[in-house]
Amino acid sequence: MKALSLSADALRIVAAYGAAVLLFVIGAWVHPGFGSFNSITSILLIASFVGLVAAGQCFVVLIGGIDLSVPWVVNAAAILLVTSSLGQDARAPYAIAVTLGMGALAGLANAIGIVWFGVPAVVMTLAMNGIIEGLALGLSGGMTCAACASYAPPVIAAAVHDVWLGIPAALWLWLVVIAVVSFVLSLTRFGRATYAIGNNGRAAYLAGVNVNRTTILLYALSGMFSALAGILLVGFGGQASLGMGAPYLFQSIAAVVIGGVSILGGRGNYLGAAAGAVSLTTLVSVLLALNMPDYGRSIIYGVVILALLLLYGREQRE
Amino acid sequence: MPREATSPGQAAPRRSAMVHIIGQNVGVILAAIVLLVSIAAFCGMFLLQQDRLPGNFEVTSTVNNTMPLALAAIGQTVVVLTRGIDLSVGGVIDLTNALAAIWLTGSTLHMLGVSLLIVLIGAAAGLLNGLVVGLGRLQPIVVTLATLSIFQGLAIRVLPQPGGEVPPSYTDFLVSTNGPTALLFLLAAAIGWMVLRRSRLGVNIFAIGNDEQSAIALGVNAMRTKILAYMLGGALYAIAGLFLAANATAGDATTGDGYTLTSIVAVVLGGVNLFGGRGSAVGAICGAFITTMIVNILFFAHINPLYQSFYEGLFLVIAVVLGALIGRLVRGSR
Repeated sequence: MKALSLSADALRIVAAYGAAVLLFVIGAWVHPGFGSFNSITSILLIASFVGLVAAGQCFVVLIGGIDLSVPWVVNAAAILLVTSSLGQDARAPYAIAVTLGMGALAGLANAIGIVWFGVPAVVMTLAMNGIIEGLALGLSGGMTCAACASYAPPVIAAAVHDVWLGIPAALWLWLVVIAVVSFVLSLTRFGRATYAIGNNGRAAYLAGVNVNRTTILLYALSGMFSALAGILLVGFGGQASLGMGAPYLFQSIAAVVIGGVSILGGRGNYLGAAAGAVSLTTLVSVLLALNMPDYGRSIIYGVVILALLLLYGREQRE
Repeated sequence: MPREATSPGQAAPRRSAMVHIIGQNVGVILAAIVLLVSIAAFCGMFLLQQDRLPGNFEVTSTVNNTMPLALAAIGQTVVVLTRGIDLSVGGVIDLTNALAAIWLTGSTLHMLGVSLLIVLIGAAAGLLNGLVVGLGRLQPIVVTLATLSIFQGLAIRVLPQPGGEVPPSYTDFLVSTNGPTALLFLLAAAIGWMVLRRSRLGVNIFAIGNDEQSAIALGVNAMRTKILAYMLGGALYAIAGLFLAANATAGDATTGDGYTLTSIVAVVLGGVNLFGGRGSAVGAICGAFITTMIVNILFFAHINPLYQSFYEGLFLVIAVVLGALIGRLVRGSR
């Protein structure tokens, strides 16, 4: 029985990667040049932003939680990076540390509300999204502050765009993150604890798992990954803007779901979520190549996710 | 539903009827108290700065601006009571709001027919949610996130640019600027709630929210109940979309987006338990008005509007934490 369910999980990950490959083939068919190496790496680069946010989302979904504070943590990270670095390379390390710290702090605050005050994760992270939105808008004067117009330090821009061994640096970073997160989830005590809590929090507690500490760490990591995506987004686009984090809530949850992670927690892994991020981004790129208008993309997005849910769903019920 | 209603045979110490009623309705009572306090605070600030109490104009505009949120929150309440959550609220309001701005013209009879049709479309949107959640047995949060995207897309297809027009007579009927007559609609909604609460469907909704397995064992058709709950929610969001269009006298295919979040905020502030089984429309209406009053108070406190969502978020967390603490105290330690 166990072997059967494991192979079903593996099948989903294979299906998610298969979907990405299929989408690339369709893209190359409708739009010559879509399948070129450059086009593929640039799509993967964009997928890496979704993928990094999805890493954090994957962590909290695995314990049956959810992180709705993604949009403004990403956005606030982007604003904080440019305002604290002022576009100077010398200040870049300090700015990165401050920004990642902000993300971790936001996640920590989420976790404290959830763990110690018993606030439902949906409400807590929703409120945190508002709190950070208010702080980001208020402190930056609605992006009118002098430092808000700064560009990302050249070092960070280079860390996104520079090509090493034919692949953009941000993609290497994502590959490292995929390796580390997969290792942590499947081969460490912390990863085991995560799955245990997701399957049955009470049983995990009785088995000696420190549920509170693990939960707090996972939410803090989620905030940090959102902040990391924000940093890379600024490096990619050059400047911070209001609303740049908005797409990442839907996309990170969709990537996690497409990748076969059970929204109830306890099942799935980050390899699947990463595949979800790639196939989602490729789908968008194909629709763009087809000159599909905004509304059509929005509808197809929803339909695809519904279809996948129905396809996967039968096994998820208990 | 009332867990405390022990049968006479059990040896549990009986509590007085008063304590029982308060214990069962602690969420609504708290919401009403918070609402009264926030109204008092607002009136105090208004008096200090304007040297008079809020008049007919202020009351009417507050009521008219809160109507869409109040209706959306009632719809969200129905869904939340089944232990679900509906993130597609914003999409349904977008869609119905856009349709209202295009279709509402001509004779009274025509407008009545169109309004009914739009409410039916809202119910159909809810039917889609309910079918996927009920038949597919999937998690409501991801299902409605997906349908949100679909409905938003449809709304933009219907009305690519903000525009359209709502006849003044329609606006006057729903949200008259002469007085807070829109409150009558909320009164009707509250009465409708009382009826629903005592109907078979209402009892089933509360039953599956409290314990789905037990409810099914007792013969409740959980699937049909969920589908009907989502449909009722969808119809209410559609009415919210109509009120929004009437208030703005025009349509916009994105103006409803914010209602996904604010309806959840209103529901939580209204003392509805997000884990299902506890809550009421009256609470949701109180929650909606609290949300509006917070914005009004922040305005009169000369808080920089940019910080608005900061205070809203903070208030939401504090309200939930305090509500849980007081609820635990009143119901006794467990």
